[in-house]
Amino acid sequence: MEQVMQVANSFPIWVFASLIVFVVIFQAIIFIRLATKTSATVGMTSKEVKVAIRTGAISSLGPSLAIIFVAISLITLIGDPVTLIRIGIIGSAAIETVGASIGSQAAGADLGSSNYTAQAFTAAVWVMCLGGMGWLLFTAIFTKSLGKIQGKAVAKSKNVSILNSIAFAAMIGAFSYLGGSEMVKGYIETIVLIIGFICMPIILNLSNKYKLNWLKEWSLGLVILVGVVVGYILS
Amino acid sequence: MSTNNEARNLNESKSSEGNQPSIDFEIFQEKSHFWGRLTIWSVIILTLMVPLYLSFVLGFHPGWAVIISGFLAYASIIMFVWVVEPISYYPILGVSGTYLAFLTGNIGNMCLPCASMAQSVVGAEPGTKKGEITSTLAIATASLVNITILIFTILGGSYLISLLPESVIESFRFVLPAIFGGAIAQFAIKKPSWGVVGIAFGLFVNLGPVPRPLQTFLCILGTIVVCMLLDKLKKDNKAE
Repeated sequence: MEQVMQVANSFPIWVFASLIVFVVIFQAIIFIRLATKTSATVGMTSKEVKVAIRTGAISSLGPSLAIIFVAISLITLIGDPVTLIRIGIIGSAAIETVGASIGSQAAGADLGSSNYTAQAFTAAVWVMCLGGMGWLLFTAIFTKSLGKIQGKAVAKSKNVSILNSIAFAAMIGAFSYLGGSEMVKGYIETIVLIIGFICMPIILNLSNKYKLNWLKEWSLGLVILVGVVVGYILS
Repeated sequence: MSTNNEARNLNESKSSEGNQPSIDFEIFQEKSHFWGRLTIWSVIILTLMVPLYLSFVLGFHPGWAVIISGFLAYASIIMFVWVVEPISYYPILGVSGTYLAFLTGNIGNMCLPCASMAQSVVGAEPGTKKGEITSTLAIATASLVNITILIFTILGGSYLISLLPESVIESFRFVLPAIFGGAIAQFAIKKPSWGVVGIAFGLFVNLGPVPRPLQTFLCILGTIVVCMLLDKLKKDNKAE
């Protein structure tokens, strides 16, 4: 176990981790610049650009903190830099834990157990990296084709409104699925979800009524705060 | 129609931004493909280097049989998700959003809520050009925030978190249900009947006998199909 952590936290692994983090940051900056340049031609004011960025920043604070709390559990099993790699790119902390334990088990050791050797760690890293690559490969290869299919559909203006409706329904479907998967975890999760469901319209109504745009930007953060506090009290 | 649009785009780009050169939406998408692919391929290569380094430079190779059997077991769990998630989320994320969200991860719990929140604050509809630019800005910023917090945590925060009482750390698992409840409500206010359809499907795929890997896809597809049918029924009724 100690040998594993020495290898896992060694300098070359940190170098790979830094390079990957660099690419993620680089990509985000490139896309912010591209989108800002394009904003005027799609009828966005520079004020709206700032609002979009600010809302993204504020709304991601809660989820990011939550992600990190889950990620902490991985650090003790696969070390700092590999955790940085696996959590910094596609794949949630939960699914990466599954991948790491399957990989390690294939090498005949449970994650973090006394017979968890450098070989078992290497197997875990292989399985996590190959597993996470599925999304990346599909996105890199097929996003262009998805765009072409959409491009053809957009050519007719009647289709545009249908596509908008589809996007709207897809959003409802996605969140309902994710919400449902939380509800089946237990009754406190269900109550917290219902609290969030009630809080959000109240906050949005208040901000509309009193013209408080900043309140809208903070709405998701506030909903999370209320939900966590209620969950804390109930558990 | 399209020439009109182009002319308007040109006019707008000349008038509104002054000295900063602006680009139109088609060029934006082309550039998104270029930079999106370049960054994702770089990460694919870099992530492969890590296990290759462990196996063949440090000599801890566990054997291909071990790697393949582990990978197959893992793949059988998540294989469908690789294909289904990019397709299902594409109408919401658009080209640029797809490249961003699938590199940084945390799509359902971070990227989507941030994108839809920004769209509602700015007043842009999902699926429109303005909607895509708005969500791109929001997701890219979210990605930056996420990676920054992650770096700080890993470099020293793990110590700070160990100082927090267990019960506080435990209650962080309620972040997700709170987000999802809020996000469902945000859409359900606009179209309550669609909200009901979505929630019904959400509960059905989670509680019913639906295999785990198909759940996301079935729920999103089912919601879209039923909502479109509802819409059609409404229009037919009006027409008569």
